[in-house]
Amino acid sequence: MVGDPFWSNIFKREQSEEDALYEILTQIPIFQDFSQREFNKIQGILHRRSWGTGEAIVQEGNPGFGMYIILSGDVDIVHQVEDGSMQKLAQLGAGDFFGEQALLDESPRTAAAIAASPCKAIGFFRPDLLEVIESNPRLGLKIVMRLSQMISVRLRHTNRLLKEAREQNAQQT
Amino acid sequence: MSSPTSVMPLPIRILLALLLIAGLSLFLYKIHGVLAPFVLAFVLAYVLAPIIDRLEGSGIGRTSSILLVFLSVFSLLGFGVFAAGNRLTVEVRELTDRMQRNESTQSLFLVHNRGDAPLFIDGAEWEYVDGKPNQTSFELSNDVILPLEVLPGQQRGISISFMPDSLLFTQATLRLELGGDRAGQWLVLPVVGNLRHGNERVPSELGLKASEYQIRGVDLEPNWVDMGEAGPNVFTDIGKMAETVQPTLQSYWGDDLDLVTLIKEQGDTLINTLLGSTTVFLGGVVSGLTFVVIVPFVAFFFLKEGRQISRKVIELVPNAYFELCLNLLHQINGQIGGYIRGQILATSVVATLAISGLSIIGLQYAFPVGLLAGFANMIPFLGPLIGIISASIVALATGGTLAMSLVGKVVVIFLVIQIIDNILIQPTVVAKSVEMHPLMVLFVVMVGSQLMGIVGMLIAVPLTGILKVIVQSIYVGIRGYRLQ
Repeated sequence: MVGDPFWSNIFKREQSEEDALYEILTQIPIFQDFSQREFNKIQGILHRRSWGTGEAIVQEGNPGFGMYIILSGDVDIVHQVEDGSMQKLAQLGAGDFFGEQALLDESPRTAAAIAASPCKAIGFFRPDLLEVIESNPRLGLKIVMRLSQMISVRLRHTNRLLKEAREQNAQQT
Repeated sequence: MSSPTSVMPLPIRILLALLLIAGLSLFLYKIHGVLAPFVLAFVLAYVLAPIIDRLEGSGIGRTSSILLVFLSVFSLLGFGVFAAGNRLTVEVRELTDRMQRNESTQSLFLVHNRGDAPLFIDGAEWEYVDGKPNQTSFELSNDVILPLEVLPGQQRGISISFMPDSLLFTQATLRLELGGDRAGQWLVLPVVGNLRHGNERVPSELGLKASEYQIRGVDLEPNWVDMGEAGPNVFTDIGKMAETVQPTLQSYWGDDLDLVTLIKEQGDTLINTLLGSTTVFLGGVVSGLTFVVIVPFVAFFFLKEGRQISRKVIELVPNAYFELCLNLLHQINGQIGGYIRGQILATSVVATLAISGLSIIGLQYAFPVGLLAGFANMIPFLGPLIGIISASIVALATGGTLAMSLVGKVVVIFLVIQIIDNILIQPTVVAKSVEMHPLMVLFVVMVGSQLMGIVGMLIAVPLTGILKVIVQSIYVGIRGYRLQ
């Protein structure tokens, strides 16, 4: 049994659900190749929540404190354009994640995430990450390392897009 | 779908929240007697948390870390209590005793003339057992006028007053010289005072001794007299010193000024207020087991389950405020931790400095006075004054002829401590954000003393500091946040 018997008796969850969570989390880059032991440690600081259709998971412009990993349901990532209308940027489903940049800084959310259907997600927040770094530096470093790798991959991707756009621009002129 | 709370407009929600907070505060105040061990456990948990986190970080499990830290801290505390606790209790008891004590007592004994002739008592002499010739602790009261005549079959009461210059056990025999046909005979009456500080065997010895000196036809009732407890009172001593400066002050403020009575009255009121409310508060806390068992037990759970508890609390928050609350809780947690640890550190340093300093200059009761000065230091502006005043009172009361130079040394010690505190300690341990306006300090300290006496005064400022930290964190956290 994971965690302390006292709490797990009060807040009993199905063992199969724990296993499913492990499956989903180890699929995403941050928690990739985590051992069951490390996963147990992390699990204590994750927040599991559910949202109804149309409810906002994050609001655009609010300070962000962490990332979300979708367990079930669909989430629309929308952006408010200047005329006030909503532009849908993407739809995410189970196993997808968003908001990981907020784990590193407190900058405002660049888009809103709205539940398109009843959905369940796991939240992972900066204060908790900071606590892991303090109480278990090895594990904290592993997470931060993965996080930087993800952001570095994304930056490389952005750089490539920028380069392509520049080349296109140069060809056109 | 939206959560049910979003049906209510924001002002009503805020009002409801404020009502809830007010109700909760009232409830907490009503049960504050029971709260003390929990508050202490809370403080203990905050103080120990960083050490335990660090141990956990080095690979030891959390439970083992907590147990390890508890073991070392409580053995240290236990050693401290063992080494200093007894001395502290004795000194505190003696000190409060000196402040509350009667300076003199009165007692009455009866001379019963069972004979046929009148009995004349011509004179009285005191013979002190320890042989000090100049002692005047016992005296016949002013209303006893010698010679005295006791008619046959009648009895006369004679009253004795006891006004010693120390708390020490005092023993004397009163020798009443008889006149008339009994000239040359003496009535002998053993008298004792401050028996509590003397020998427990004394009463029975006195009873035997008294029966040796019986004179036929005359009964003394009782046949030995216990005058009870008396000794110099701190405030009377200070009053006596004030007498010397009284004429000078009267020339400024007029003859109405009676410094001696003023000091005695104010001192009595002060001591009664302070001790009365403290006893009420401590009655709830230091009932032995409560303290030793409940505090570590609760602190253990705060440390072990703290994260889970806050996670479960966060789970109850509606989706719209969830992230905000999570962040606020974390901020507040960090700030309170820093504040409490800072205060404890500052208190220990100041208390240690004060105890050492006062011991070096040879002040009696340096231990309790220094401890009080350390705790009082949590109150800005007023705290150092409390320390310096209480130390000066003790210096005046115990210093004898050197009292004034001892007060001078006390002032120097406290000045040095204040300089160290303000230059070295405060800037490093106390966050700028918790600084309070002097008026605010004065107000909360007065409210604290009104509600809970001296303990209230001491905890008022830290409590306000914690509230301020919370409000500030909420204010900063909520800025830039769009509420739904």
